[in-house]
Amino acid sequence: MSRPDRREASQLRALNCSLGQLNRADGSTQFSAGNTSVVSGVYGPVEAKVYEEKLDRAVVEVKFRADIGAPTTKDKWVESAVRSTFEREILAHLHPRTLVQIVIQLREGDGSVDSAAINATTLALVDAGIPLKCMITAATCAVLFDDTTVVDPTQEEIDAARSTHTFAFASGSNDRGPLYVDSRGEFTMDEYSHCYDMCTLATERVLAFMRTAIEGKVTKEAKIGAA
Amino acid sequence: MADIKIVLPGDIIDTHRKEDTEQPESNAEDSASVIRLGPGLLQASEAVSAVTAGVLHSNSETNRWWVAGNKRRYVAAVGEPVVGVVVARHGEGYRVDIGSAHDALLPHLAFEGATKRNKPNLAVGTVVYGRVVVANSVMDPEIECYNSNTGKSEGYGELSEGFMFKCSLGLARRLIDTKAPVLAALGNGVPFEVAVGVNGRVWVNAENVETTILVANAIRNSEYLDAKQCRQMVKELLEKQ
Repeated sequence: MSRPDRREASQLRALNCSLGQLNRADGSTQFSAGNTSVVSGVYGPVEAKVYEEKLDRAVVEVKFRADIGAPTTKDKWVESAVRSTFEREILAHLHPRTLVQIVIQLREGDGSVDSAAINATTLALVDAGIPLKCMITAATCAVLFDDTTVVDPTQEEIDAARSTHTFAFASGSNDRGPLYVDSRGEFTMDEYSHCYDMCTLATERVLAFMRTAIEGKVTKEAKIGAA
Repeated sequence: MADIKIVLPGDIIDTHRKEDTEQPESNAEDSASVIRLGPGLLQASEAVSAVTAGVLHSNSETNRWWVAGNKRRYVAAVGEPVVGVVVARHGEGYRVDIGSAHDALLPHLAFEGATKRNKPNLAVGTVVYGRVVVANSVMDPEIECYNSNTGKSEGYGELSEGFMFKCSLGLARRLIDTKAPVLAALGNGVPFEVAVGVNGRVWVNAENVETTILVANAIRNSEYLDAKQCRQMVKELLEKQ
């Protein structure tokens, strides 16, 4: 079974990112996997509105904007997915009474949008210097009708899939289990475990990619600082 | 420069020094073996892990560890010089926007020679240069425009005329150094005044508006330039003038 874009089953699409593209945001990232492309902007810690501020921690607010059309329930779902994933991993107690606002703009959606949104947001938070417990990386798997499992599916593959699974993991501690799971469709427990393992491997590759991207930026700045 | 160590959030830092392993166990309580963690590092149970991305630095004599990274949003820290804008005035003092999550307080009496009868009257929109004296996560920051130990202004106070602009915190920290290549190169060409706040705000003033704009542009351009490129860029700007 070959995939429409001739990838291996466990092969991710080409990853690309650039940090700090938005000059008015405190941190931002343009992240793309193949044709799926998102921009994530982070503002914070900024002053929270009186009615939403928490006395003991920062409030995390996520806004997801689709590439076209009015906000839909699906967009709200991605918002809540990103918020629930990051809320516990941001060290919010270090900045009480403040707001960390994450704005995700979808540029082009070609499958695996939720994992791209999570990956972009991790990089944007790192770019903004928001204290994080760990790096968070996500990957999506799809189980097709012929029982093959493919990583990082395109929209075409998702439309033809029996079930899709998105997992987000914290760096350095897979024993903690996934931070976020989203499984849709009909699947068996074995298929779920297989997707879990495939996504674990995929997120490791995403993490290596993120590390390279951040190291590039930090090295560039450190060299100038030392010169 | 060859072996800089870059850390990412969640990376565990090995803070054990080589000589520590040779020392007997009884020295563990020694003050020298106390590890002091600076920005970007946090202790979680036994391990020390990074919480921000940047270059890991350590001082083996004092056993201090910190992570240096660039940011755009200021978080106030005691003793740091900041440039701010007065946004409101009330009974005890002014509210000053220093770019952090909350506005800083600037008491009426926190100026050189200020008394209850005689204190500076700052309008909303005035740019001030001050030093952070109170900074913690639960209180609003507080700044002062004099050294409360000596009672002298030491350069702090109202910044009249001139022009203020924003830059990244990393650039601001580099500009604090008087040997910063862009400032040195500019200083050789034109006379100007500069006040650098580590909150990513820089105020400049020169004898005329054109020069002020030139200086501001040169500093903003220097974000990603090394010393040699800075000198070249300043030279080109000065020639154009």
